Amino acid sequence: MSSRGFHRGMRAFWYVMLFFLYAPLAVVALYSFNSINSSAVFAGVSLRWYAQLFSDETILNAFYNSLTLAITSSIIATVIGTLLGYGMYTYRNRRLGWLIWLVYLPIVMPDIVYGISQMSFFTSISNATGLFQLGLGTMVIAHVSFQVPFVALLIYSRLVGLDAMLFEACHDLYAKGWQRAWYFILPTLRPAIVSSFFLAFTLSIDDFVISFFTSGPESVTLPIFIWSAIKKGVTPEVNAIATLMIGAVFAAAVIALAFQYVRAARPRAAD
Amino acid sequence: MTGQSTATASAVAAEPTTQHQDQASGRSGSSIELHGVTKQFAADSIALRGINLKISGGEFFTLLGPSGCGKTTLLRIIAGLENASDGEVEIGGASVTDVPAHKRNVNTVFQSYALFNHLDVRENIGFGLKMRGMDKAEISKRVTETAEFIKIGNLLGRRVDQLSGGQRQRVALARALVNEPDVLLLDEPLSALDAGLRSELQLELSRIQRRLGMTFIFVTHDQQEAMVMSDRVAVLNDGRIQQVGPPQQLYEHPENLFVARFMGHQNLYEVRQQDESGLDTCFGRLVGEFERGTHVLIRPETMTVVREDDVNAGPNVFAAVVRERVYRGHVAEYTLDLGNDTEIVATCNNVGEPMFDVGTRVAVKVQTSGVVTFHA
Repeated sequence: MSSRGFHRGMRAFWYVMLFFLYAPLAVVALYSFNSINSSAVFAGVSLRWYAQLFSDETILNAFYNSLTLAITSSIIATVIGTLLGYGMYTYRNRRLGWLIWLVYLPIVMPDIVYGISQMSFFTSISNATGLFQLGLGTMVIAHVSFQVPFVALLIYSRLVGLDAMLFEACHDLYAKGWQRAWYFILPTLRPAIVSSFFLAFTLSIDDFVISFFTSGPESVTLPIFIWSAIKKGVTPEVNAIATLMIGAVFAAAVIALAFQYVRAARPRAAD
Repeated sequence: MTGQSTATASAVAAEPTTQHQDQASGRSGSSIELHGVTKQFAADSIALRGINLKISGGEFFTLLGPSGCGKTTLLRIIAGLENASDGEVEIGGASVTDVPAHKRNVNTVFQSYALFNHLDVRENIGFGLKMRGMDKAEISKRVTETAEFIKIGNLLGRRVDQLSGGQRQRVALARALVNEPDVLLLDEPLSALDAGLRSELQLELSRIQRRLGMTFIFVTHDQQEAMVMSDRVAVLNDGRIQQVGPPQQLYEHPENLFVARFMGHQNLYEVRQQDESGLDTCFGRLVGEFERGTHVLIRPETMTVVREDDVNAGPNVFAAVVRERVYRGHVAEYTLDLGNDTEIVATCNNVGEPMFDVGTRVAVKVQTSGVVTFHA
């Protein structure tokens, strides 16, 4: 096959891939504006499903729960994961192989196994002691526990990529322990810390399996709500939620790109 | 000589800008003493075996040796970045053996420069002063002065990733010097630079050191670099000091085979037998009064190479065949075959003398002043 033919083939494949990625999103967005309750016929533009959405207290509550869960767990996981990643870096020369495996295992563990084991764990504790009733609290614990390895991994790989001499330069330039942390380690890790917070947030906000097993009756999150709503058939209301989430993701991506662009283009102030 | 005195004159003229440095260091850096410094990383890995060394205040001292000889470890022990397994480190007469790096008034210029990417050049240079809690106005003043002194005043607002290798090196130097340390440690700081920049910075480093009168301890594996810059050099091998002395002494009177080889000598031969009138080597007898030794070296620049038929047969003239000729501009370097698998290297000035082609039969005359004996 000629190289030109190959390149054309790859380009066609690229368009096919884009189509399957984004066409479903477009369809969802389109039908969220449908004036009738149908996912097959588009009768006209209307915002009635959005209006219904914002007046539905269950949905608003689920949305609120999702945000609370995602933000709380991401903050906790970022703090713990950063400390863990730093610890793994500091002691990387000791033989910690098995310990690192313990940290990484949850990343490859199937969610369903993880979710079920979390549920049985919390249930047996709460049966015995009355503590850890399934609810937002147990969900935060479960989410933090699967977010931490991702954060630790990100922080660790950033630290490993640094010139080890930088730590010594800090020592050499009279920095005490807290000064090394505040003036060198934290600013150097800041991009990695911000990315791991957003990664943790994304993992939490779209998690269904683990949330499903660790949630209580009062702690329905958006994915759980959508799942139970869909059991009754896809409603335009669900389409509207999905469209809002797509919009939020796009907005976040645009903001992130803009930040990168500004940072790259920013000239340093002349002294 | 004239050039040197002009440099000093201009240095004096520019003095007011760097006055604080002179005040703080009192125009003479601190002395350093090492007593039995030993470093053992593991049972089978000993980096340093009982190093004893006295470095005077204001000296440009070089630790020279092949990689793995322990020179960087020794530097790190002086900096406090590494603890000695045994022995004492004194700076300015006070023991600092148990003082951590961030409390030692010693600064290091790292091989990789180790500049902070999240800070600009000004903030990098001021980092040490800021950590010591100096107020902002004073930091800014000193950073500017030092940057001017190192000729990077125009780079203060730059980001580190916008700098060239040579510029980074200067920033790293300024970041250390601005703190007015008792001792400045330099860990192969020029090894990543290209040849031209290297020799430029070598001269500049010696100039800076002379002007500040600060004690510099320089680590390198390059004997040329050591010779160009240092007041004294310590040659290290296998965790031990082989010889300490001014460059000229190391080159002209190496104390052992390792130092002789490391200083670049190639014409090294075993002494087979020695008496008052001379000594025997594998290629013949060298006539002259030499000190007793097990080995002899012959400096290539002291030999004369002539046509075979020009030989005035006499002592210390040997017949040879040209094996290789390397043209180096001002000199030609000949590798000569003396027979019996023995070679000798001779360099000849390229001034109106004929160049000998490979294969030419020649005679090489050895001068007794270029013959040095020593014990292996």
